[in-house]
Amino acid sequence: MINDFSHSQFAHCESGVVSTLLTHYGLKVSEPMAFGITSTLSFVFIPIVKLNNMPLIAYRDLPKNIVKNIEKILGVKVFKKQYKDILEANLELTKLVEEEKKLVGLQTSVFYLPYMPENMRFHFNAHNLLVYGKEGKNYKVSDPVFEDVVECNEKDLTKARFAKGVFAPKGFIYYPTFIPKDIDFTSILKKAIKKNAKSMLTPFPYAGVKGMRKLAKAIEKLENRKDERYLKNYLTHIVRMQEEIGTGGGGFRFLYAAFLQEAKAFDLDNDKLQKASELITESGDTLRYFALKCVESAKKIDKFNANEISEILRKASTLEEEAFRILKTI
Amino acid sequence: MKKIDIPQENNSTLNGQRKVMYGTNENGEFQRINYASSVEEFATITAVEEYQELEKECLKEIENDISSPIKYFMYKNRMDLPTLSSVVDMFSFRVKRHLKMKHFKKLNDKILKKYANAFNIEIEKLKDFKI
Repeated sequence: MINDFSHSQFAHCESGVVSTLLTHYGLKVSEPMAFGITSTLSFVFIPIVKLNNMPLIAYRDLPKNIVKNIEKILGVKVFKKQYKDILEANLELTKLVEEEKKLVGLQTSVFYLPYMPENMRFHFNAHNLLVYGKEGKNYKVSDPVFEDVVECNEKDLTKARFAKGVFAPKGFIYYPTFIPKDIDFTSILKKAIKKNAKSMLTPFPYAGVKGMRKLAKAIEKLENRKDERYLKNYLTHIVRMQEEIGTGGGGFRFLYAAFLQEAKAFDLDNDKLQKASELITESGDTLRYFALKCVESAKKIDKFNANEISEILRKASTLEEEAFRILKTI
Repeated sequence: MKKIDIPQENNSTLNGQRKVMYGTNENGEFQRINYASSVEEFATITAVEEYQELEKECLKEIENDISSPIKYFMYKNRMDLPTLSSVVDMFSFRVKRHLKMKHFKKLNDKILKKYANAFNIEIEKLKDFKI
């Protein structure tokens, strides 16, 4: 067990875990940095892919994007492993935290974690947490979205690590094994910001800025839909994807704005970073207002004004288009 | 820079926990701040209640011999068809059949055991399902 481990709470699980891991192993990388240098900000709306009968809406890149890409981007080495054998997975994790006193990142389901509040337990398989020790049959867990450390017994944690379904974790563990000395953050940031700008401005109509407009259009079409229950579920589904699933508010936009602010310390065009950060903050605010309107409409369906709500989303998309056009030239 | 509004409302779904988000301090610097949002609370509760509603409807369908107890437990465990199919490792068209009472009645213990394991219940709970 790591005796001097200090837990921090983060806005988002994957960026939080990667930030804590890198910092623990000797490279101070904040959560916004981990999120930003992996160009994780995104928007995707794919109506034909359904989750619980609702369209796929995501405000960030695919799960594991940060863990997978951080190696190449920073030049660090990360030990990554998935398991077929449950027993082996447990023995190795126990050995890592007990004997080698390592801090280990894990991918798990949310549903099977006993410390998760009942109302938060859904079948989402791409949650990330840290294990820093074991006492008897209990693992000592640092879950980045919780205020404090928690404990989780081996049986439940195993269930969460081997949950099936979309993004099945298959016992996935990871921790850094090598941190390089000289990292050229200026060029890394430049590349990462440009890459993110490109993905947000993609011509593909279901992603980025265009994807946001596609969703706005889909909301407009709801105007004629009479099924109140469906409307209520649809509108709150958007809110959950944008706010509730650990996005740090406004669909990760505040997190990304914080990243742009932090990037100002690395000898880039600070005027552009400042302007873009302000625009993306404003977009985050606009998205929050959009969420509020979605919830108000879900509460009183007869007050649902599809045009008004989709206009707010369009406004956010315009702000982001402007921001990423600036960032593209950084 | 415009100050980010940090909601300090009530969110009962977190059992007293508070999440963090990024907001700005007086100097315009970003930092993590604890918050609680009633907008999030409503969205979460709606999703939870939707499952409860589906459970209730399913009980009626079971009474009328339309749906099977598997469907009831699927909703009780907040699963949808693709999730359940993956957990029991069967094709979804097959699982879909098992959600109907007339197919459910013909299932052998081996298959039922798979479902019981998926729902973490005894096989009897499926066989002698009582409303």
